[in-house]
Amino acid sequence: MDPYLVSVLSNIGLFSFLALSAWILLLGGEISFGQQAYFAIGAYAAGIASAVWAWPFTAAVLWGAVLGAGIGALIAWPAARFTGVHYAIATLAFAELTRAALNVFHYQRDVDGYLTGPDGANGFGDIRWVYEAGIEPGPYLAVIATLLLAVIALIGLAARLDVMAQLRMVGEDPILAAMQGVRVLRWKIGAAAAAGGLAGLGGGLYAHFATYVEPAQFSVMTGVHAVAYGLIGGLGTALGPILGVLIDIGLLESLRALAAYRMIVFGGLVAIILILRPRGLLDETLVAKVRAWARR
Amino acid sequence: MLTLENLSKHFGGVRAVDGVTLTIREGEIFGLIGPNGSGKSTTVNLITGLYTPTTGTVTLDGWDLTAMPQHARTSRGVARTFQNIRLFGNLTVAQNLWVAQNGHEQRREHFLSRWFKPGGEHGASVDELLQFSRLYSKRDVLAGNLSFGEMRRLEMARALASNPRVLLLDEPAAGASQEDGQLLAERIRAVRDRGVTVLLIEHMMELVMGITDRIAVLNFGQKIAEGTPREIQDDPQVRAAYLGSGHDEKMERASA
Repeated sequence: MDPYLVSVLSNIGLFSFLALSAWILLLGGEISFGQQAYFAIGAYAAGIASAVWAWPFTAAVLWGAVLGAGIGALIAWPAARFTGVHYAIATLAFAELTRAALNVFHYQRDVDGYLTGPDGANGFGDIRWVYEAGIEPGPYLAVIATLLLAVIALIGLAARLDVMAQLRMVGEDPILAAMQGVRVLRWKIGAAAAAGGLAGLGGGLYAHFATYVEPAQFSVMTGVHAVAYGLIGGLGTALGPILGVLIDIGLLESLRALAAYRMIVFGGLVAIILILRPRGLLDETLVAKVRAWARR
Repeated sequence: MLTLENLSKHFGGVRAVDGVTLTIREGEIFGLIGPNGSGKSTTVNLITGLYTPTTGTVTLDGWDLTAMPQHARTSRGVARTFQNIRLFGNLTVAQNLWVAQNGHEQRREHFLSRWFKPGGEHGASVDELLQFSRLYSKRDVLAGNLSFGEMRRLEMARALASNPRVLLLDEPAAGASQEDGQLLAERIRAVRDRGVTVLLIEHMMELVMGITDRIAVLNFGQKIAEGTPREIQDDPQVRAAYLGSGHDEKMERASA
């Protein structure tokens, strides 16, 4: 396969984790501008584990996801008491705090004669486990795709067991959800943990794909994009945010003719879709219609 | 079965509910009426846990609900509808009922069994509720796309889905026509016949007087009368509250 195509597809896959992370919180009724922080935490945690501690890849990536989920739950415990704008600001503040902390985070150890590990604002290079194991970009793309499909299948399972519908209840009207016997705070913390874990998983995979990460990559714009993916693609199904990523990275960033205007076109697209289809292209009405049709 | 004991709710200096004591008996349709701002909706919010009372207690079948969170009251058997309809607009009609039922803690053991009856094949009780509220053909439509009357019916079904012992109806006739009012009366009786005790808050006097067994009247947060519809209609204090005090004197002066 063409190396450029492989790299574009890998990016689409990697940012789909971040988009799904923000999407889960959108379903739970919260806008988070801070999911890039969990992406960063996953990237750094997994990178340190494999490059500095010499853990195997699977354990390192899993560790990144677990840490993302844990910190997500920990932050949500107080933050879930906020709603709307206040929640958005709280998540934004946390993400900027994380980025600022990474800027001064030095943890370099001697690995085979080289100083390896995060070096503050200079970033964190030599996350080379995947390359040293001889895994080419093509097979690594297959790893990303498999994990993404597994996550989508898991969300499908959750939907079938009615978990997603309960999360939507909490998101739409927490008071009514409580009236119906749903434990709202527990759901909000659970959603934040799942979202943090997903972003952490994506971050760990990203670090091993890029081999180099630096705090500046995890800026607010990354988080804003993550939210926009769900809003463009649609809130009705897990495929919605992934469609959003496809449109942004697949179409706007990768078509070289459009790349220079990416931000302008993307911003305009978000505005138009929010006016015409407030809940995105694949919204709940469409999904319900497709489901009703499929059952016939 | 449902008892309010010296219940009060003060918002700053406003005594929205002020020392109300009431007992609602099992299986009856109990009306709660009063002029605007008399504390009816606040009383409902105190029973369902949306507000915490300033003083007093709420008990259901001897269980003290006063300090319970909302979801716990739901599993004890309290359900309500809202004056301004509240539904999950982005969930389907069936999901509004189906989820409500399974969100119920006592039914947690059924969690995995849902795998075997996903989507269209809802549990028998959900099907029955859909039939009861004449919404079966709309089960896969998003609740937000229903007509006003259908939303009202779905809201009552949603409240019934949690299998309540007592159902609080907050102005169910608001926005309904006279004809709808007739159907509503039948529906409320049908709910009572399912073994659910009904607390009806309503402005439409015809409806309240026609179907309730007993009525309590609130005015400025206090209970000013309690009795059968007939007794209430003849109560001078109630007439004064609705028509304004000094009414009789003014009339006398005018005719003099």
